[in-house]
Amino acid sequence: MRFLSLRDARRLPFWILPLLVGVVVMLLPVLGAPRGTLRMMVTIALLSMLVAGLNIAFGYAGELALGQSAIYAAGAYFAGYFAVQGLDLPITLVIAVIAAMGVGLLTGGPGLRLGSWSLGMVTFFLVLLLPDIVALLREYTGGSAGLSGIPLPSVFGTKLDSETYYMLVIAMTILVFALLRNYVVSRHGNALKVMRESPVLARSLGYSITRIKLSAYVISAMPAGVAGTLFAYQEGYVSDVSFGFSMAVAILAASIIGGSASIYGAAFGAAILVIGPLRATALQQFSLPFFGLLLIVGGLFFRGGIAELLQRFVRARIIKDDLMPDVERAIAEKAELPAIAGKPLRASGIVKRFGGNTALAGVDLEATPGRVTALIGPNGSGKTTLLNVIGGFLKADEGVVTLGDRDVTGLAAHQLAAAGIARTFQTPQIPKGLTVAEVVQVARYRAEPTSIVSGMLTLPGTRRAMRRDREEAVRLLSIMGIAHLADRPAEELPLGTRRILEVARALAADPAVLLLDEPASGLDESDVDALSEVIRRLAEAGATIVIVEHNFEMVLRIADRIDVLHLGRMIAGGTPEEVRDDPEVIESYLGKAARERAEKAKAESEAKGESR
Amino acid sequence: MMTTVWAGLSLGAIFAIVAIGYNIVYIASRVFNFAQAQFVMIGAFIALSAGSALDLPLWLTIILCALVGGLVGALEELGAIRWLRGRGAHNELVTTLGVATLLSGIALVIFGSNPQRLPYFGEAPLDLAGGRVLLVELFIILAAIGLAVAVGIITKRTMVGMASLATSEDREAGALRGINAGALAIGAFVIAGALLAAMGPLIGAKTFAIYNLGDLLAVKAFVALAIGGFGSYAGAVIGGFGVGLIEVFAARYLGSEWPNITVFVLLLIVLLVIPQGIFGRRTGRTV
Repeated sequence: MRFLSLRDARRLPFWILPLLVGVVVMLLPVLGAPRGTLRMMVTIALLSMLVAGLNIAFGYAGELALGQSAIYAAGAYFAGYFAVQGLDLPITLVIAVIAAMGVGLLTGGPGLRLGSWSLGMVTFFLVLLLPDIVALLREYTGGSAGLSGIPLPSVFGTKLDSETYYMLVIAMTILVFALLRNYVVSRHGNALKVMRESPVLARSLGYSITRIKLSAYVISAMPAGVAGTLFAYQEGYVSDVSFGFSMAVAILAASIIGGSASIYGAAFGAAILVIGPLRATALQQFSLPFFGLLLIVGGLFFRGGIAELLQRFVRARIIKDDLMPDVERAIAEKAELPAIAGKPLRASGIVKRFGGNTALAGVDLEATPGRVTALIGPNGSGKTTLLNVIGGFLKADEGVVTLGDRDVTGLAAHQLAAAGIARTFQTPQIPKGLTVAEVVQVARYRAEPTSIVSGMLTLPGTRRAMRRDREEAVRLLSIMGIAHLADRPAEELPLGTRRILEVARALAADPAVLLLDEPASGLDESDVDALSEVIRRLAEAGATIVIVEHNFEMVLRIADRIDVLHLGRMIAGGTPEEVRDDPEVIESYLGKAARERAEKAKAESEAKGESR
Repeated sequence: MMTTVWAGLSLGAIFAIVAIGYNIVYIASRVFNFAQAQFVMIGAFIALSAGSALDLPLWLTIILCALVGGLVGALEELGAIRWLRGRGAHNELVTTLGVATLLSGIALVIFGSNPQRLPYFGEAPLDLAGGRVLLVELFIILAAIGLAVAVGIITKRTMVGMASLATSEDREAGALRGINAGALAIGAFVIAGALLAAMGPLIGAKTFAIYNLGDLLAVKAFVALAIGGFGSYAGAVIGGFGVGLIEVFAARYLGSEWPNITVFVLLLIVLLVIPQGIFGRRTGRTV
């Protein structure tokens, strides 16, 4: 008889382990655990839900929200009030969750409008406001005396005893963790990471940043609503002193200790805080300075928290670098680049001023499908500005941009991305915390959208989309010749490979036009050759390619047409040969002397009747 | 009526003073210092101790407050900000929130949770422009306006001020021009800390000294800046007065639960309608 070996165990999905822990905790009363332990477990469970919610907003979406304790209060008051009115727990729970998410929406909409700290301040204000709101609505909340008389919970008319209720609390916690975990491992989690690490990249991939941030923040309120409901029944009494400033700080501290960019980390952080400082009554008086120090030290040193330490351990001990089967297959099959439906891109009369400085003074650019159009010019000539205007990252003061038959002038970056413009960046934008394949997959988030609910429940639609994301990514990586790196952390890649990875990502969005911003800068010769070949193949497949590049040799080799920008004006344009011999181009690049030398040499060679 | 206006202006002046502190640090180092308002609390408690225990005259107390405030500001920058350089605004928000919590926590441990009266200025009100106003309130209003004008002029006219404006626009370009961004940042923390702590005795004489004085001040001053626009000194004062007036009128006509809620609603509306503030400008950032 064979036992489950370690090798087989490695194949099991990771979520089995936390689920197992959760079920054991849930069965503690059956195992004869003392009352004190059960009470502590409930406290940990409630806090861990609050922290897990915060982690969605803070760790994943990168927005610090301090209002989790106020939203928790909203959940508790709503559930408590309707429980007193005699409603069943399932109904009060739904009401409380809706109320919590409503508070999230109300504060998140305005809070996310300004800079990176306005949500923090708005939600901090919300926490300070709680006593006033409770006093104002004292008819419903009981004012400073508190809301009392909350009955024992009943589900569909059956009263729950305290042990059953305990199991219900833990079961709800497991459910909340499962939903949040599914949300972050679904495509939405990676989209949040992209947005957090590089908003510019997110926009270039067609993400609507406001919408994604707001939805993440509203989702982060959901666990607080659940926890508030369970708290109200657990205590039988709700008062605003349970949800003050120190609670808000404790939630944040637990998040940082456990690891903010993690769901399971929330349980560790909550457990440590409840077993440690929150229980020590001697500490009550010193809780504020203690949490203050914890935030300073944690903010400075604990970037990944306990979750990251564990992850590193798992990665080092358990995960091997074997290629996944689908990657091996893709490498063996060697896919061909499919046809790309390029569209003509035309920019005419583009004017862009920065204050008194005119960066572009009426520039025309035309790029046709199947051809490489290069844009060259000395530093400061306006190349990148033009690219940013075309990509929607800057608004032109005058001029028209059309894509195919469509006028796309003045559209925002994410709308242009949706219209079929993809780009790469001077400094490759490779978000931290993603694998190489995931970096490609995130470009398909908008093209094949799936809903957040579908992601939380891992419905078939999400599973299908994720499977296709993976297939498409591996296929594109294989075409680019870097499929063997698919499951490596993308941040480990050298510069040349990063640039090729960016091209693969741009292709995954199924674009009509590719904008390449100085793709060869910083590359050595062999990398430049590899990249040149990729670009030529893309053009042959039908893509419209606009490339801004300093490497003149490379441009001469791959471009079908070269436009030369100088001080915000086009000074030349034509085939590589025409541009190479253009006296004005030579002067602007190499100076007057070079122009004279070149003209002299040309005259001599013409006199001899030679041609080069 | 006029008495309420004076009360609103003097309350708003307090918010404006804290908002000026936010601006000094923000312009020089692009950091939003969550703990800024706590420096007023520090000043108020120093005044309380110095006034009762040491029997110092007011001017000496103010100098002492400025010294301690500047020192704490320097410690904050060195301990909680400098190490984070380049790791994003979110970490700064966490560590400065930590500093705020630490400071008010220390005050709670030392002084307890009861509000305490400062021994400066009398309770006798003056009659002015048809309303009553305390002498200390008048001083606070004048101090807010004076500070805004002085700091505004220094920022626009002196080398240090222009250097911080330049660094604020483009840190790298500033560094290439020989501006020492590190020195500028710590300088801003010291100056903002010293100014706000020095205002502590004045402000504390109006509000009393209490450990959580800084909490609501922090958010109200933020509302003042959201209205006036980040980085604008005129905006800080006008926004501050606006918030103060709205607060006292809400208390008078709606009831005592209303002032904070009204300011909060105002903040939500301002963020939705004019997120860049009245005097702020939108900075377009790109690739």
